Amino acid sequence: MAAALIGEAPPRTRKRRRWLPWLLLRLGGVVFVLWAVATVTFFAIRLIPGDPAEAILGGPGSQTSAAALAQVRAAYGLDQPLFLQYLHYLGRLVVGDLGRSYALHDSVIGVIAQNLGGTLLLAVVSLIAASLIALALAAWSTRGGRAAASIGSLLEVVAAAVPHFWLAISLILLFSSFLGWLPPVSVPGPLGLVLPVLTLALPLSGFLGQVMRESMLDAMASPFVLSARARGESESEVFWLHALRHAAIPAIGLAGWAFGTLISGAVVVETIFARPGLGRSLLSAVQQRDVPLVIGVVIGVALAYMLVTTLTDLADRIVDPRLREDAR
Amino acid sequence: MRRFRPVEVFAIVVIALLVIAAVVPGALAPGDPLAIHPLESFRPPSFAHLFGTDESGRDIYTRIVHGTGASLLIGLTATAIGVGLALVFGLLAGLGPRWLDFGTTRFLEVLFAFPGLLLALLFIVIYGPGVVTSTIAVGLATAPGYARIIRSQVLVVRRAPYLEAATVLGRSRTSRIIHHLLPNVSGSLFVLVTLGIGQSIVWASSLSYLGLGAVPPAAEWGAMLSAGRTYITSFWWMTFFPGLFIVLSAVVATMLGRSLQQRLRSS
Amino acid sequence: MKRIITPLIALASIALLLAGCSSPSPTSSAPVSGGTLVYATGDAEPTCLDPHVGGNYPQALVATQYLESLVSKNKAGDIIPWLATKWSESKNGLSWDFTLRSDVKFTDGTPLTPDAVAVNIAHLQDPATGSSTGYLALAKVTGVTSVDAHTARITLSAPDSALLDSLSQPWLAIESPTALKRSQDVNCQSPVGTGPFVVKKWVRQQSITLVRNNGYNSPPADAAHRGKAYLASIEWRFLPDSASRYAALQAGTVDVIDNVQPDTIVAAKGSKNIVHIDAPRPGASNRIELNSSIAPFDDQRVREAFIRSADVNSAITSLFFGTAKRSYSALSSIEALGVSDPTLFGYDQKAAAKLLDAAGWTQRDASGYRVKDGKRLELEFPVSTNQSIPAEQSLFEQLQATTKEAGFKVNLHPLDLSSWYAALGKNQYNLVSAPYTKVGPDVLRILFDSEGTKPAPSGYFANHAQVKDPALDTLLVTASEVSDPAERASLYKQAQDIVLSGYYILPLYDQQNHYLLRSAVKGLRALPSVSTPTLYDTWLQR
Repeated sequence: MAAALIGEAPPRTRKRRRWLPWLLLRLGGVVFVLWAVATVTFFAIRLIPGDPAEAILGGPGSQTSAAALAQVRAAYGLDQPLFLQYLHYLGRLVVGDLGRSYALHDSVIGVIAQNLGGTLLLAVVSLIAASLIALALAAWSTRGGRAAASIGSLLEVVAAAVPHFWLAISLILLFSSFLGWLPPVSVPGPLGLVLPVLTLALPLSGFLGQVMRESMLDAMASPFVLSARARGESESEVFWLHALRHAAIPAIGLAGWAFGTLISGAVVVETIFARPGLGRSLLSAVQQRDVPLVIGVVIGVALAYMLVTTLTDLADRIVDPRLREDAR
Repeated sequence: MRRFRPVEVFAIVVIALLVIAAVVPGALAPGDPLAIHPLESFRPPSFAHLFGTDESGRDIYTRIVHGTGASLLIGLTATAIGVGLALVFGLLAGLGPRWLDFGTTRFLEVLFAFPGLLLALLFIVIYGPGVVTSTIAVGLATAPGYARIIRSQVLVVRRAPYLEAATVLGRSRTSRIIHHLLPNVSGSLFVLVTLGIGQSIVWASSLSYLGLGAVPPAAEWGAMLSAGRTYITSFWWMTFFPGLFIVLSAVVATMLGRSLQQRLRSS
Repeated sequence: MKRIITPLIALASIALLLAGCSSPSPTSSAPVSGGTLVYATGDAEPTCLDPHVGGNYPQALVATQYLESLVSKNKAGDIIPWLATKWSESKNGLSWDFTLRSDVKFTDGTPLTPDAVAVNIAHLQDPATGSSTGYLALAKVTGVTSVDAHTARITLSAPDSALLDSLSQPWLAIESPTALKRSQDVNCQSPVGTGPFVVKKWVRQQSITLVRNNGYNSPPADAAHRGKAYLASIEWRFLPDSASRYAALQAGTVDVIDNVQPDTIVAAKGSKNIVHIDAPRPGASNRIELNSSIAPFDDQRVREAFIRSADVNSAITSLFFGTAKRSYSALSSIEALGVSDPTLFGYDQKAAAKLLDAAGWTQRDASGYRVKDGKRLELEFPVSTNQSIPAEQSLFEQLQATTKEAGFKVNLHPLDLSSWYAALGKNQYNLVSAPYTKVGPDVLRILFDSEGTKPAPSGYFANHAQVKDPALDTLLVTASEVSDPAERASLYKQAQDIVLSGYYILPLYDQQNHYLLRSAVKGLRALPSVSTPTLYDTWLQR
């Protein structure tokens, strides 16, 4: 069936074959990034003052005996040279074994599985919310005249300059303590998601909105819009068909970056709203010198991140035909 | 040359005031930002204390004025580190030969794959908290984001007709970068940098919230904001005014960037 | 099948609703059975729910709901029966007999026997368990034997006047010996005890679900009722941010919060829906320790100068809104044997200046800091951001400002817990503030005996002031062995006099421990042992 299709449409095969090396390169890139991320984290976290053997034995300040420390060091291979430990870790990583968390007495995979969903849900919903808010703002301020442009850009700048923790507490005070509309801390269900999502989405939408408007303005002044106008297309048509599409390119390019900042923001938001998630796990793991969990979470985030960037690159190629010619 | 618009005048005045506050804070606020008056703590804004007092009875207005230098320095330096690194990597990736692009892109991808806050977190936990470490940490953490934007802009611009025309006309590589690429990339770069200054202060304050920022009793806006967070339900002014100044500096920086950009475009 | 059941449930719940409507709402304060209480803690999430492992306060808080100790304490400070009904010390003080209740079963069905006690003590003393608090408390215990079916004999290497105090702590609770045989990872997830509630589920970073133990029959002697608990279940949530914790209490999302900030307590006093409980922790007071082992605090005059130039009272007034009382003692105000001496800690800049002049710190540099032999009078102060609440960190900033007048340059270093311990281990600190919770005055031995300056292999040591005084050591060791109350009190008084008049510590206030509850929560009290809340007598009047 496939062969028949190809036979019928020879021009499409050329196009298809370009996807394969692209995909292979991508895959190789993913493996490389995972390796590099694990390596950097492994060595970086060992530079931090504090003894991982202590982290295993009930955390800092526990009055553990020399015998117990030695026992733990031997059991976890912490008495071996650092490079050997690294090779051992890598060996287990290759077969998908992320080890056990020192502090949580649980497998790293288990901890990640428990927390990944919450963070991804939060990040994705926030990303969508931020894009919609940004798009609305950018469209309104591009088309609404001078006043709209000034107010719109002011709103964007203010939104982008608000720290997450301050916004979170202000939203809690407004919507929960004062108005009583929403729960102040995370509860199951969509209602509990509203404030955390707003906290993450508002500053991000300020950012996305700026970039989108820049591109929209560029597009509205560009030759192809002029020619479209010359063809007699209406101003709305021009805007929705061309400017919007043009604005989408940098915005999509930013999606990967935005996802990264959302994960960073999640550390703060998950702490304030008491949502279980990777951000919070990461913070406490770093503070407790929980080496396997830190690396595990970083790898988890890296994987999720690369999934998002691969998808956005794909979207980029679809929206911006120029990039399809570029084999990189 | 066009006349100055009111927003531009406003931006310039505020920036001038901020610069004065950063260089000679004593001129705007003669008091001592560290002087404590425990028995005058948590006073709301009044004529005696324009922005109220904090938990140790220190005058918040004086602390904000004296904290301008440190805060702007964090913002400027972190953004400079971030954008500087990003410019190098972004241009290498966007302009260099294929293998260089490949290498730099992979390197950037590794940096990207780290959540920015983790980079900052690790850096600070290793080197200890303080203004210098958190500034570098914020710069490092934000660099990949800028780099990515720059690279994608370079890729888009490189395919633009005028650059192809320059290549056809036989302009040298450097000349193409300087005369065509940079001005075109600079549009988004300006927006990024101006936003980045405020953003870096915000980042630094988030680090303070997590207990990794400026060391007390330094009067730094981000640290003040995060110190006031505990009292946000009872004493709003402790977070409102530092927050206002973070936002204000970000806003005027952006305004200035915008109008510069427009002038560049029209000239 | 499902189709039949659903309407049945619906019918049943309608019946219940009707029943609920028909009965008059209780106007009296008769306890109501049932319901779920949501407790939101601001303490760190434990890494292990078995308080034998490690042994910190967050573990004690939650373990109080499902584990029980051999003895407890009442409000007056007397030891009272719990899992043990009677106890007696042998004449030479080298063994203690505990008569256990005969009708108690762990929630896995294992009966409470002398063997169970032996297994628990062995578990605490096993290095592989990694117990710190319990391990230290049992330092003199050599073993446990069973005298008869219901009597356990604890043998000691030396008399231990603190044994009963130690055994009342949640970190030495008795767990099911059958359950302790499981791996540590499993036991950390679901420890099994005899308590009024049972650990059902633990979702990390979110909550622990505790359900009622319907077979419960072993409340401590001072409990308000017998039999099983009123609450059907407890949701134990982790809410690290103090502002959102209070917002959740106001909104009714949670019923009880702990780790309440001073300004929040004041704000809550205006609300008629919220009740405040103040239960300071036992053991040491919150104090700043002055490291006497390195310069400049190896000179007692400099230590006194620092203490005299620190305006603690103004700082407490400005930061704590009357919720914390100034302490002048090394011990918590609830410790009966605590010695308090305000005369030693008066704020007096002139006296401080005189002392520093006498100690040779006569010059001042351009910034006003004192200088001696070209060295500035500089003090390093690592601050644990996990252990010091924001108000306390602000207090340190104020002390930094007031001691500057005398010419001290205090450098505050806010650190996370691991880095903080690492900093202490290097012995480069001059000032430090570390809480230590323990029942009874024996905490003095842990904090001020010269033994406590020797770091454990992990680098940990408890004597942060690094007091090395043979006379003090003798007093503390003797006091820990005598059982005559008057003699014991006198020895501890002499010991505290040495500590206070040597200016090794600057006492601040009791270890703060405030709870806020919605007024629907009735019958909640803090156990007098280590002031953890017990929800056994608690019911919800909604």
